[in-house]
Amino acid sequence: MVMNPVFLIVVPLGLAFFTPIIGLLSKKFTKYVPVIAMLFNLILSISFLPKVIDNPIVVTLAGWKPPFCINLFVGPVGIIFSILISLIGFLVAIYGINYIKTPESQGSSKQEKYHILYLLLLTGATGIVLTGDIFNLFVFFEILCISSYVLVAYNQDKNGIEAATKYLIQGSVGSAFILIGIGFLYGLFGTLNMADIAQKIGDVNSPTLFIAMALFITGFGIESAMFPLNAWLPDAHSSAPSSISAILSGIAIHIGIYAIFRILYTLFGVNSVFTFLAIMGIITLLIGEMSAFKQENIKRVLAYSSMGQIGLIIFALSIGTVNGVSAGLFQIVTHTISKALLFLCVGYMIYYTKSMELSSLKGLGKRMPLTSFLFTIGAFSLIGLPPFIGFPSKLSIIFAGLKTSDPLFLILIILLLCATVIEGAYFFKIIQLLYFKKSEKKDHIKPPFTLFLPAIILAILIIFIGLYPGFISSILNKSAAEFVDKFFYIKTVFGV
Amino acid sequence: MDFLYKNIYYIGAFGLIFIGLYMVAAKKNLIKIIIGLGFIDTGINLFLIMIGYIKNGTAPIFTKAGIDSAQMVDPVPQALVLTAIVINVAILALALGLAIKLYEHYKTLDVSKIRGLKW
Repeated sequence: MVMNPVFLIVVPLGLAFFTPIIGLLSKKFTKYVPVIAMLFNLILSISFLPKVIDNPIVVTLAGWKPPFCINLFVGPVGIIFSILISLIGFLVAIYGINYIKTPESQGSSKQEKYHILYLLLLTGATGIVLTGDIFNLFVFFEILCISSYVLVAYNQDKNGIEAATKYLIQGSVGSAFILIGIGFLYGLFGTLNMADIAQKIGDVNSPTLFIAMALFITGFGIESAMFPLNAWLPDAHSSAPSSISAILSGIAIHIGIYAIFRILYTLFGVNSVFTFLAIMGIITLLIGEMSAFKQENIKRVLAYSSMGQIGLIIFALSIGTVNGVSAGLFQIVTHTISKALLFLCVGYMIYYTKSMELSSLKGLGKRMPLTSFLFTIGAFSLIGLPPFIGFPSKLSIIFAGLKTSDPLFLILIILLLCATVIEGAYFFKIIQLLYFKKSEKKDHIKPPFTLFLPAIILAILIIFIGLYPGFISSILNKSAAEFVDKFFYIKTVFGV
Repeated sequence: MDFLYKNIYYIGAFGLIFIGLYMVAAKKNLIKIIIGLGFIDTGINLFLIMIGYIKNGTAPIFTKAGIDSAQMVDPVPQALVLTAIVINVAILALALGLAIKLYEHYKTLDVSKIRGLKW
């Protein structure tokens, strides 16, 4: 049976709105709906991978030809993101089966809300990476944003509501900027199709283009928490339920980065703004890691560490060469897998110790041996120790930066290595608390199976790709070549 | 004066957007901030409509013979505005819902006093 890539969006979206009806039939079954939807997406995306790696599929909707229709562009980058989204979505959905409890204020059996919004969030993310229409991208972006605003506040506690309000205000100003940018582009080119805009953009040289680009970078920069637009991130990521923190840190912020760089590479082409972005990336990295170092709350540590990683990814993607983009995509894979693993482990540590303070983690290595061990793997991977996945990805970023032989990039790489040292320092501090401090309690805590299954799969992936980076680096190189090549994109969409 | 006359709609649209941004940035009351978000959205909608607007233009439907297609208003921005309005309604409704919950927790809407987390 030949499947259409549009099912990657349709199935989760459809199931999301079917969830309440399924809930009428069987209350218990609703929590398995995201698992099924994401498993379907995962299998479908992996089955597309060999096909699209050389020939991207362009899906045209409603029987019109581009540029008049809304088209999907299913290239290697899109499919890699789609695999990542569905993989993390699937594993976190398994985790959510036991982890998600109904907030006390809501009475019984309102968990459906969580599962609906969870599926919508993932639908929005998948839509953004597959679409080839800039307004469609905005709509999916709003689906992603609105569902994440609600999910941050899912527990309806003081902190969650406050963080969600902040996130909502800043996020909707960001979306407003994106919409103004789209308005400018439509005013200049009279089209919303990304390939069509990319084709026509060479003919126009107007200051409006620069304004539109700045608006896009600001708007998506808020979602991806680029410094100085990052004020919402530590609060939202630390106040959300841990499963949602894993999704926000692992997927949502990377989607913002994808959108920035898709627009820059495909629409505007490589230009001087990349130097600016590389510097901003390193500043984000340094500020994120330094803030993480002085936090006392474990989830805030991880949230600031996400911000640091985002800076690293922005730096790698704005090197502007195929090597750099490939390294950036590799770092996205690393960060998604490792940070999801960390948040999943921390979720149950907080659940049992009932405290987010770092001091409450003392001696957990004895009380929750497997969870602490998995946490350690994730932390080592993020620092970039061999043989974990973080090592080859960080190494490839440094190599890509050195290859440019630009003195500016050399300085930035030195700063990057300093940031890695800070990162190592706070993760080792946590690991020391876990293993080398005694706690008064001696009991053994047994977290449920639904934590271990996803966490062990993630840990195996971290070690496997860390040992055999060639397993994905050839795919990433091809994706990077597609991501940078604007003319290939235009040619594929118009089918010339 | 001529510049003003030609661009009055754009000036109005961006005026609304900047008023909204000012309200979001400077006001302390959460409800006023949400109204500011509403201002930004209205400004953007006006701006989008303006892109495709033609003075004395007609709807882009050939109802009778002899209508010049250059006199037709571009329908795409209007479709965009329709979508944007729906999205904005969702965001504003959610924001007001969160404001109610925030008031229940803190008994105030002054954002400078809502400091459970570091603002």
